[in-house]
Amino acid sequence: MIEVCELRKSYADLVRGQFVAVDGVSFTATAGEIYGLLGPNGAGKTTILRILSTVLRPTSGTARVSGFDVVTQGPQVRRKIGFVSTNTAVYDRMTAQEMVEYFGRLNGLSEERLRERVEDVFARLKMNEIRGVLGAKMSTGMKQKVSIARALVHDPPVLIFDEATMGLDVLVARSLLKTVAELREMGKCIILSTHIMREAERLCDRLAIMHRGHILAEGSLEQMRERHGEGDLEELFFRLISEHEEAEMQSAECCTQNDLARVAP
Amino acid sequence: MFLNNVKLIFFREVRDQLRDRRTIFTVLVLPLLLYPLMGVLVFQVQQFLREHPSKVRIVGTAALPEEPALIVEGRLSDKFGDVSRLEVEFVPRTNLSSEELKSQAQSDLRLGVCDAVVYFAPDFADQLAAFRNGETRAPEADVIGDTARDKSKIAAQRIETVILQWKRALVDRNNKSSNIPAAAANPFEVKRVDVSQPGRRRAAIWSKILPFILMIWALTGAFYPAVDLCAGEKERGTLETLLTSPAARGEIVYGKLLTVMVFSMATAVLNLVSMTGTGSFIAMQLQKLGSGRLPLDVGPPPLMAMVWLMLALVPISALFSALSLAIAAFARSSKEGHYYLLPLLMLSLPLMMLSILPGAELDLGFALIPLSGLLLLLRTLIEGQYWDALRYSIPVVGVTVLCCWLAIRWAIDQFNNESVMFRESERFGVGLWVRHLLRDREDLPSVGEAMFCGAMLLVMRFFFSLVAPPATSWSVLATTTLTMLLMVAALPCLMAIILTKRPAKTLLLCRPSFWATVPMVGLLAVALHPLLLLLNEGIRFLYPIHPEAVVKLREIEGMFINAPLWQALLVIALAPAICEELAFRGFILSGLRRMGHRWGAILLTSALFGLAHGILQQSIGAAVIGAVIGYVAVKTGSLLPGAIYHAVHNGLSVVIGRITPEMVDARPVLRLALERGSEAGELLYRWQAVAVAALVAAAIIWWLKRLPYQQSAEERLQDAVDRSITLAASDLPTDRTAVEEREPGLMSAARS
Repeated sequence: MIEVCELRKSYADLVRGQFVAVDGVSFTATAGEIYGLLGPNGAGKTTILRILSTVLRPTSGTARVSGFDVVTQGPQVRRKIGFVSTNTAVYDRMTAQEMVEYFGRLNGLSEERLRERVEDVFARLKMNEIRGVLGAKMSTGMKQKVSIARALVHDPPVLIFDEATMGLDVLVARSLLKTVAELREMGKCIILSTHIMREAERLCDRLAIMHRGHILAEGSLEQMRERHGEGDLEELFFRLISEHEEAEMQSAECCTQNDLARVAP
Repeated sequence: MFLNNVKLIFFREVRDQLRDRRTIFTVLVLPLLLYPLMGVLVFQVQQFLREHPSKVRIVGTAALPEEPALIVEGRLSDKFGDVSRLEVEFVPRTNLSSEELKSQAQSDLRLGVCDAVVYFAPDFADQLAAFRNGETRAPEADVIGDTARDKSKIAAQRIETVILQWKRALVDRNNKSSNIPAAAANPFEVKRVDVSQPGRRRAAIWSKILPFILMIWALTGAFYPAVDLCAGEKERGTLETLLTSPAARGEIVYGKLLTVMVFSMATAVLNLVSMTGTGSFIAMQLQKLGSGRLPLDVGPPPLMAMVWLMLALVPISALFSALSLAIAAFARSSKEGHYYLLPLLMLSLPLMMLSILPGAELDLGFALIPLSGLLLLLRTLIEGQYWDALRYSIPVVGVTVLCCWLAIRWAIDQFNNESVMFRESERFGVGLWVRHLLRDREDLPSVGEAMFCGAMLLVMRFFFSLVAPPATSWSVLATTTLTMLLMVAALPCLMAIILTKRPAKTLLLCRPSFWATVPMVGLLAVALHPLLLLLNEGIRFLYPIHPEAVVKLREIEGMFINAPLWQALLVIALAPAICEELAFRGFILSGLRRMGHRWGAILLTSALFGLAHGILQQSIGAAVIGAVIGYVAVKTGSLLPGAIYHAVHNGLSVVIGRITPEMVDARPVLRLALERGSEAGELLYRWQAVAVAALVAAAIIWWLKRLPYQQSAEERLQDAVDRSITLAASDLPTDRTAVEEREPGLMSAARS
């Protein structure tokens, strides 16, 4: 479903020069599976998900969604995904129903199928009572529901959730995670990013722990626990990250010493 | 592109805008209220102006002659014009000298005690009598006013009119008493006859105002929705939602563009209708009230004028909408977006103002200036001069379409540019930016650097032409031309060295992919030469060169015909071939090809190349040659064949200029291609030769077209996106060096 191979993304930065946000990341995710990207802020999770949703272009490497290339076959890829992120808001001057229908039509659904899907999605997400509410009048929870409905309306095989529970209260977050679990049961391939350990532990079939553009560890929770001899995910997470930071620091020092040695007479 | 998506986005955006109260107010309500309100204001001001009397002091009235009387019963006589708006204070005599009086008047004018002072000398009547009896010096009446103050100016004007009328009466009385008939002082009358029809006269007035108003409102009406649709959506976070939908960037841009256009056109039309309606109503009312005092014949504009305006509104709105959209896409927030309105207005206003300058007439120069050309074309159409309009409609429409296309492309590129779409505020400093330019150099120049180079070349040429000495002799002409060309070459070379990692590759200093292209392109230059001469003839027929410029051109032609052949070839053929090619097909084309559109890059380069030629009529021909050379450069991946083409083309012009009809008569080889023209000494290509040359040129172009060529990384990517094919992992294009290093292998495979 999703194949990411040696993905790399760098930006030109006025102060730092080339800044590498994602550095040689590879992973695959299949249907009926929830794949989690777990990492602190700035780990490169959002960048990867934005590349998968084709709004960013990789500097090198490839990513395919349902066999379509994210660089050259953008429209086909976007037809296969539903993307929910804190950056994808709902229109203020549109009602929930109008918004969901609009995206259904953009995804090429016929009017008949659209009606069917809208009914199905509104019923599933229990949002029939907010059909006629304008985006500007919605609460954060309602908005998130509309976003998910918008992502589900064309029944895509792949769903991408980028920090989807951020800013939600416990009740709404819980119901959202329940929805995600249900979607897996329906055979969707789900990829979600989070920095909350509990979410990752509860939901993800497989996980990648990310830090500064690199994947530090990858596999199912059990595999990781076995491989690193650490029962608690949070402990494992901190250990891996501090080890990575130390290694980076050492290599930086090594480079400086080499440079100094070259300059010295 | 799926029209369905464009339609969906368009309808959504329009509905969204209509649900916004601010938009409804600015687009629909404001224009309908604004002009009637302004009309009321004009009426008020008019009333105020009419009721305001001028205070005038007349000094020395005791010295005035009794007949004809200027003052009757202590008031100005109403026989000498309208005295109702004059409040006059009489001072029969004064002890002050003329100078003292002036300084007193000055202070009184400043304090507003009076608005003008008239001074008659104490012996005015005596002087008058003496003058009538043969004295040579005429008496003077001083009207003292302050031209820096409007009130004083008006007062002086009003009293002067009365005094002049009085003077006339005085002359009549003198003549009568000397038994001279009245006709002696006024042997004939000058009468103006206006043969224009009232409709035409009205058209002339409206033709100056309406296009201008239309443009201003089309721009304003486009800008605010554009900011809301791009920067506003970015700010609200809904743009990324749309970008992750299957709609392509082009579809999104066209959907938004149509929306912005609708609002731009609606704003312009409503303003126009409201303004002309209110304007004509007020003018008619004023005419009724003032019983023809208004010098203008203002009525509703002719119907045809409105039809032309509506037709022109479509491209105008398209251009402004695309520009606004591209600018608004660049802005991070609505607030930032609104800041950009002023620069856009400042750039467009001078172009619009050009067309309402007195004496501005539609000619080739104006036709090629964006906006100005369109405005003048509109004026010409409204005035009913259809032949002129038709003649210049080709360049005007061409330039407008090109500008629209560029603006739309720019907008789409902005939407494709992730650094624009996901731009975050970062610290900016000139030092940081320069360091970034030098540190993060890429292999080839960026599109922006290429455009900057082109703009700098044009600016440099302009200033050089101002300071260069006039071409009085061949040596001066040769020196200035060579200096200019060296400057043209130096700029791109320096920029390539400083700004890129691979200057040689940037300037296309590589072997041509196929050596056979070199002689073939030389032959192509020979074969296309007659056709290009024909094209130039056609251009000069349609758009004649100004006679003064023709004389100058003849002089310069004469200079290089009489110069030694090798010098002429060096200055006219070889040096431009090297220097101009380094700049245009070297640096600029290499940079522009990174847009990912080969023909877009070639045409833009050739437009710049054309603009860099002095006379506009030459520019069009040069742009065509530029496009041919650009195509050759892209196909061969080297500067050499293009330079050969340039040198051969210019060289042929030099050589043919030296061939005389006698030489043609003497040599049968020359007779194959050339024949005498209708003018003495004129030589033309034989039509048979032109036909054969055209066939040969077509064959060579077909051959060139079939050659494989090296695509730029961006072109390859665009190609893959257009054809929606999957590139192999190793073929991913942004890894530029990898692609270019693989390229020689690809080319040798193609050769074998």
